[in-house]
Amino acid sequence: MAAPKAYELRTKNKAELTKQLEELKQELASLKVQKVAGGSAGKLTKISAVRKSIARVMTVITQTQRAQLRLFYQKKNFLPLDLRVKKTRAIRRRLTKHEASVKTVKQQKKDIHFPLRKYAVKA
Amino acid sequence: MSINSDNSNRRGGNPLFLSTRYVIQQHAPDQDVEATITAQSFQTVRLTFFISACVTTTTQQTIKIAAPSDKNKALAAKKAALKGVNGQKARKIRTSTTFNRPKTLKLARSPKYARKSVPHVPRLDQYKVLKTPLNTESAMKKIEENNTLVFIVDVKSNKRQIKDALKKMYDVTALKVNTLIRPDGNKKAYIKLTADVDALDVANKIGFI
Repeated sequence: MAAPKAYELRTKNKAELTKQLEELKQELASLKVQKVAGGSAGKLTKISAVRKSIARVMTVITQTQRAQLRLFYQKKNFLPLDLRVKKTRAIRRRLTKHEASVKTVKQQKKDIHFPLRKYAVKA
Repeated sequence: MSINSDNSNRRGGNPLFLSTRYVIQQHAPDQDVEATITAQSFQTVRLTFFISACVTTTTQQTIKIAAPSDKNKALAAKKAALKGVNGQKARKIRTSTTFNRPKTLKLARSPKYARKSVPHVPRLDQYKVLKTPLNTESAMKKIEENNTLVFIVDVKSNKRQIKDALKKMYDVTALKVNTLIRPDGNKKAYIKLTADVDALDVANKIGFI
């Protein structure tokens, strides 16, 4: 089936994808046996193509799975850790933009009534 | 109880409590007793009240100081203040000399969020366990003579997993599996088949003869 394309795979549902994965793995197993038994050159080059196809199917499976999970957790308070933002450990522990910008009422009043003035000197 | 001054042997001197002998007569408990003043001395009167005040708590005499229930309440309050109120709890009976840690409540987990969003699919499936068959000269000898197949398997797999993988992939039952780790780091499995199947036929079917 000439190496499935990713956009074609995305149209399929999970059961079909899992079945296709099984078939590809069986094909790979048989190719490996033929390699031991001295297979033809065509068969041997096919091995790498099949391995990449397997990778493609698994990628599509996990991508759609995680997208669905994010939808599921959209309304909830706590995400599973692997769906949270990764960035770096230090960045995750910083104050958020909002937390850092919060001011006391006292400070807000000061800023309003005594802002930083700019002066110009007349030449 | 009435206190009579026994002045029979009295000598002159300070007529205090210690110097004069007093005869104390016990009356029956229920009798209401007023302090009786028999002698003429003032000390006797003082003494009488002193003794009666002391004696009240130890004997069962009722002396008209206060009503009974109030008195009992007062005594209970005094005891509670001095001795504390925990003395009345029953002590647990211990029938063994061993002290075992008392069993406390163990709650099951109820996490607020899953740590991993989805559990992973099993990583060592049958395709990963059996890597390739071997068809070296010694392997062929095994096939023909001992009815065994020789496979290179994943290092992490165990004999049970190898047996199951063979069953799933080629529908063949293994009698026993012997494994060893080769010097190049792979695991080799000698898989003896049951007597009803011929290893040579299976090898042909698999395709590596």
